[in-house]
Amino acid sequence: MRNLIIPLLVCIACAVVVSITAVTVRSEQIANVENEKKNKIISAAGIEFTEDEVENEFKKITTLYVDFRSNEFVSVDEKYDHLKAVLKSDLSEIVPKDKDIAILKRRENVGPIYVWVDENKEVERVVLPIRGYGLWGTLYGYLSLGSDLNSVNGIEFYDHKETPGLGGEVENDGWKAIWKGKLIYNQNGGVELRVVKGAAKDEYQIDGLSGATLTSNGVSNMINYWLGDEAYGPALKKIKEHVKNS
Amino acid sequence: MKLTGKEARKLLFDPIVENNPIALQILGICSALAVTVKMDVTLVMCAALTTVVAFSNFFVSIIRHYIPDNIRIIVQMTIISSLVIIVDEVLKAYVYEISKQLSVFVGLIITNCIVMGRAEAYAMKNPPIRSFLDGLGNGFGYSFILIVVAFIREVFGAGEFFGIPVMPSWYPVNNFLLLPPSSFIIIGLMIWAIRTYSTSQVEENDNPLKAHTFKPLTVKKEAVDG
Repeated sequence: MRNLIIPLLVCIACAVVVSITAVTVRSEQIANVENEKKNKIISAAGIEFTEDEVENEFKKITTLYVDFRSNEFVSVDEKYDHLKAVLKSDLSEIVPKDKDIAILKRRENVGPIYVWVDENKEVERVVLPIRGYGLWGTLYGYLSLGSDLNSVNGIEFYDHKETPGLGGEVENDGWKAIWKGKLIYNQNGGVELRVVKGAAKDEYQIDGLSGATLTSNGVSNMINYWLGDEAYGPALKKIKEHVKNS
Repeated sequence: MKLTGKEARKLLFDPIVENNPIALQILGICSALAVTVKMDVTLVMCAALTTVVAFSNFFVSIIRHYIPDNIRIIVQMTIISSLVIIVDEVLKAYVYEISKQLSVFVGLIITNCIVMGRAEAYAMKNPPIRSFLDGLGNGFGYSFILIVVAFIREVFGAGEFFGIPVMPSWYPVNNFLLLPPSSFIIIGLMIWAIRTYSTSQVEENDNPLKAHTFKPLTVKKEAVDG
């Protein structure tokens, strides 16, 4: 009997204490994650800022939402979270195998674009959320484009499971810096930018991460997917017009 | 058995040099290699481990007479892992940046041999206050080694101290010290230094090298024929 009752009591006591702690600190944790996302969005956009300026800088952003099925700009509920939408069958859909280059399995129907608009209603810069499978798991990040909607402003990853020191180097500041000024689309409008093995030869190539070919390929694939016709590509082509008329 | 001040001091400070969990018992090396690149990260890790080992000792000791012997390890593990989850949740809420850098290593405190070792070897046989002090002491011993390693790695590796540059500008960054193997070497040197100072820790050579004893095989004729 003792063999049953003691473990049971220990388990109940531990479960209660753990649950109470988790519930108590929940709101702080959520605030931390939100704050970090804002941080990453702004630093992906290539803006220098201090910790106190995050909220202010974030207020300058206009968030537009794109419906990937119709490629129209839509309005959504204030609490809409595109990553949570992936978990709901009515807000997301299965990506067909042949188009699922970033290995997402499901993609939300509506995704955000963070836009900086200047006083003449011109698009100054945009930030897009990107994600895709690397070697060990999905990498989550942001990619920023300049006012020409072709040249890269910056890239940031805020969550990944890649090997520290190899694929984990996606967080390396030196590597992120070489993205600046690279071009996404070629003359025909196709996504040309990719991470190559070894050193980059032209403005469509990014130096590969040594020892992390699969992570590098994963990054190439997610750029290809999210900026391609299946995701943000068509919306980016008409975003300038949309901002002008809004 | 009343706890005297002298005993308390012994419990608290013996594990720092005389009976260090890392240097003498060679336990908990894994996180010592991984989280000693920066001082701030190391200090948070040390605080986390010290809290866990002290309280796990305390709680295990409170219920030590009731834990059935044949399932004692799993009961200890339940207590230890609950404490680790609590510590992890608190870190995620209040020192988010550092907890991101510590990543899996906070969770891995559950399997840290120091925590299990103290629960099994000390807390199961001693009263709660003593066990708590023993846990604190071993946490200090672990922290002592980690802080020294982190100091060397951050100052001589990155040329910084708590993220503030301290080395003159001509000092090149020593990348080797920033990689995990360097702490292996630093810990090795520390063990050497501690054992030179406290010779009682030197182990006997159980397996001395013997002279070459290889004899060539002689094939028996019968065997070949048979």
